[in-house]
Amino acid sequence: MKKNKWASKLFVFLVLLFNYLPIFVVVIYSFNASKYGNWAGFSLEWYEKLFKNAQILRSLKNSLFLAVSSCALSILIGTAGAVGMAKSRFRTQNLLENVSMIPMMLPEIILGMAYLSFFSIARIPFGMITLIIAHTTFCVPYIFINVQSRLTGLDPAYVEAARDLGASQTRAFYDVTLPLITPAIVSGALLSFAMSMDDVVISFFVTGTTSNTLPLQVYSMLKMGVTPEVNALCTIMLAVVFGAIGLFYLLGSLRKKAR
Amino acid sequence: MKKTLIRAFSLLMVVALAALCVVGCSPAPKKELVIFSWADYIDPDLLAQFTEETGIAINYNYFNSEEEMLAKLEAVEGGDYDIIIASDYIINIARSEGLLKEIDKSKVPNYSNLNAEYLNQYYDPEGKYTIPYVAGTPLIVYDPSKVTCEITGYNSLWDESLKDQLVVMDHMRNIIGMTMKSMGYSLNTEDPDVIAQAGEKLLQLKPNIRALDGDTPHEKLISGECTIGYVFTSQVSAVLTERPDFAVCYPEEGMGFGIDSLFMPKNAPHEEAALSFMNFMCDPQISAKASVFTQYINCNAAATQYLPQEFLDNKAVNIPADVLGEIEFMEDISAEATEQMNEIWNTFKQS
Amino acid sequence: MRARKEKNARHISPTVWLLYVWTVLFVALPLVYVVAITFLKKGDVWGITDQFTLENYQNLLSPVYAKVFLDSFLVAILTTALTLLIGYPFAYFTAKFSPRVRAFIVLLLMAPFWINSLLRLNGWIILLKANGAVNMALQGMGLIEEPVKFLYNNGAMMLGMVYALLPFMITSIYNSVEKLDWPVVEAARDLGASPAKAFLTVTVPLTVPGIVAGCVLVFVPSMGLFFISDLLGGAKTLLLGNLIKNELMQARNWPMGAALSIAMLLFTTAFIFLYKKVTGSKNLGGLM
Repeated sequence: MKKNKWASKLFVFLVLLFNYLPIFVVVIYSFNASKYGNWAGFSLEWYEKLFKNAQILRSLKNSLFLAVSSCALSILIGTAGAVGMAKSRFRTQNLLENVSMIPMMLPEIILGMAYLSFFSIARIPFGMITLIIAHTTFCVPYIFINVQSRLTGLDPAYVEAARDLGASQTRAFYDVTLPLITPAIVSGALLSFAMSMDDVVISFFVTGTTSNTLPLQVYSMLKMGVTPEVNALCTIMLAVVFGAIGLFYLLGSLRKKAR
Repeated sequence: MKKTLIRAFSLLMVVALAALCVVGCSPAPKKELVIFSWADYIDPDLLAQFTEETGIAINYNYFNSEEEMLAKLEAVEGGDYDIIIASDYIINIARSEGLLKEIDKSKVPNYSNLNAEYLNQYYDPEGKYTIPYVAGTPLIVYDPSKVTCEITGYNSLWDESLKDQLVVMDHMRNIIGMTMKSMGYSLNTEDPDVIAQAGEKLLQLKPNIRALDGDTPHEKLISGECTIGYVFTSQVSAVLTERPDFAVCYPEEGMGFGIDSLFMPKNAPHEEAALSFMNFMCDPQISAKASVFTQYINCNAAATQYLPQEFLDNKAVNIPADVLGEIEFMEDISAEATEQMNEIWNTFKQS
Repeated sequence: MRARKEKNARHISPTVWLLYVWTVLFVALPLVYVVAITFLKKGDVWGITDQFTLENYQNLLSPVYAKVFLDSFLVAILTTALTLLIGYPFAYFTAKFSPRVRAFIVLLLMAPFWINSLLRLNGWIILLKANGAVNMALQGMGLIEEPVKFLYNNGAMMLGMVYALLPFMITSIYNSVEKLDWPVVEAARDLGASPAKAFLTVTVPLTVPGIVAGCVLVFVPSMGLFFISDLLGGAKTLLLGNLIKNELMQARNWPMGAALSIAMLLFTTAFIFLYKKVTGSKNLGGLM
């Protein structure tokens, strides 16, 4: 049994290592003095260039705004949809479920071109609004799938018990169902957030001239082989995310001690 | 666990929002110029200089493929963007779709600096819509210490000693065109028999191909992943800068040629700014700097004196006229020929 | 409860409307557009004409396309199998840690996802290229003389696929394992089942929802991904995603690109349907 425990720990560690290997490279190369290829000494040149690049900073702002708003919208639509579906029985139910999954199954490029024509015909000007609509649409399935697979495994007795004890439907939802499905919402949301922060193909077609997103900038730069500034940017983003995680753990342990 | 995750998530959201505030919102400046081109295709120093001189802020948008750009331009009915830099063939399509705006030459006095050889080409026969930015021709570049066979032209790429060594651009028309040129035909040949033969010949090239890459083949050559490449001008330059020991071959079968130009779309919102930008880019000194930055052939006759010696010594961007010889543009071909080439290309990639 | 359900045999919960309207507006309508252009002829040089044709669907039957479908299908299956093989134990072991460690591992797994995927793949290229870290190390140790050609083959492509899609598999399975009823597993053990038998007969069946969701989330995108085979595979193989991109952009044949997309959609749907029939799950992930 002891041996098993070590083996499982080692396995988890190795997979995480696999996950992080290329990222270590990104971090290391952000301090590389040479633009191409190999290590040529330590330098902060790219960080300096990055902070002078107003365009990248602007698109970072756009991306964060876009990811937060489309994530929030898709949580609302996806969760409400999944919960409602579990309680409903109607003729087009299966059809609706399947059609709402389609954004996941169509190649991004055709979806992007369809949106391009669609918004152009609908006379919705390209910009943040079209971006939010498109991103929300491809994020909803991730929330929906996660919540639904969690719901199917839930014992309906919980909700019934709450109802029997006199809770209203809304109350039963907030007090019983919601806490039970929250992990699914959160993991779906984390995925959606990542998808939104990583989307290039669809974003290209639906963006306007003042709403460029970070992935659009980064992708084009990488494609042309301009990586050091981008490496620097990602190192900073990673540092912020890890800083947040660390802070959150620190606060957690402080609170525990206080208690 | 649940609470931990929820808290973690809300924390990430807070961080995202906080970052949003820090990055802040700057009010949009009144005078603006919206540029649409590949990333890193205009020297940021020149853009800064333009803003400084005119007070017009630059909003530089990127595209990754010209077809995507044109689809987008059509959807916005030639509006939204003021200056687009793209290559000849796509400009030709944009012209036939009526998406170009005529340039008021009186507002672009520096137009006279341009080298007449690059003006009035097939995509703009009367020189009404475009300002040539830079030009280029794909060349063969190789590592003489690793490549044992003699490299004289396109046909050399088929040499058996090059197995798993070659990088060429991932571009249907260019590669099939190159194959047809290696057979002594024009790269715009529409004859189905010739295209079919080229397809057969192209299949034999597959074993030599290590990678298809039109964007960063220079990195593959610099790192030693590939020893020979058929790549675009600026990529040849990039290779030579990092690896001066590499050799360049001007293909004996004749060269393809391309010109990237500036144009205004039909409904460009800031026409005045666009015209002054065009004039700025035609300035001899600016144009020289632009060529050095992009590492492409300069199209400005008055700029030659400002080109640094290093640039003039570069075999990729300074090709003697007698060597260049008969150049050929990649023009539009019939739908049937395109269809046939597409089939060949799919078979080639799949083999 | 049961009685209540039957009484409301035709009942739409009001919260569904949001999803309903959104789906009709922003999924169904664009889809109609995509389907519509598959029946049109392409323009000579650019765009589409308004002439009706069935040619695009006839062209789908050409052997080149059939081979692309087969290749992509195999790649997608292989990717799904590999991610499942790595992802299941990972999710399973993770769920057995203490809650704090668990949350930490999940966060650690997701954090890189905020970094552009192209950049992460670029990290692999830097590691594996001819003068990259791995080759340098191997050469330094005197194990090899000439650099090993890690990149631009099918192996490198599979590495990229698994790398990019693994977290989708893990999060789905983890969701299932985490809410697993451990007493049930223990009961099986108490009744004399070996650990392996308890795992196979109790744990795995209980986590099928997560497995199915994970497989769908991995299989579907791996049919259409194009930049991984371009970047790590050297663009030498033609997968569906590449093919569709080529049709749309290089051949400028939008109707054909749309027809291929629809074919891919039907193919994926059919496959998932079969898969669910076989695994016996009914109502998972909203698919079928």
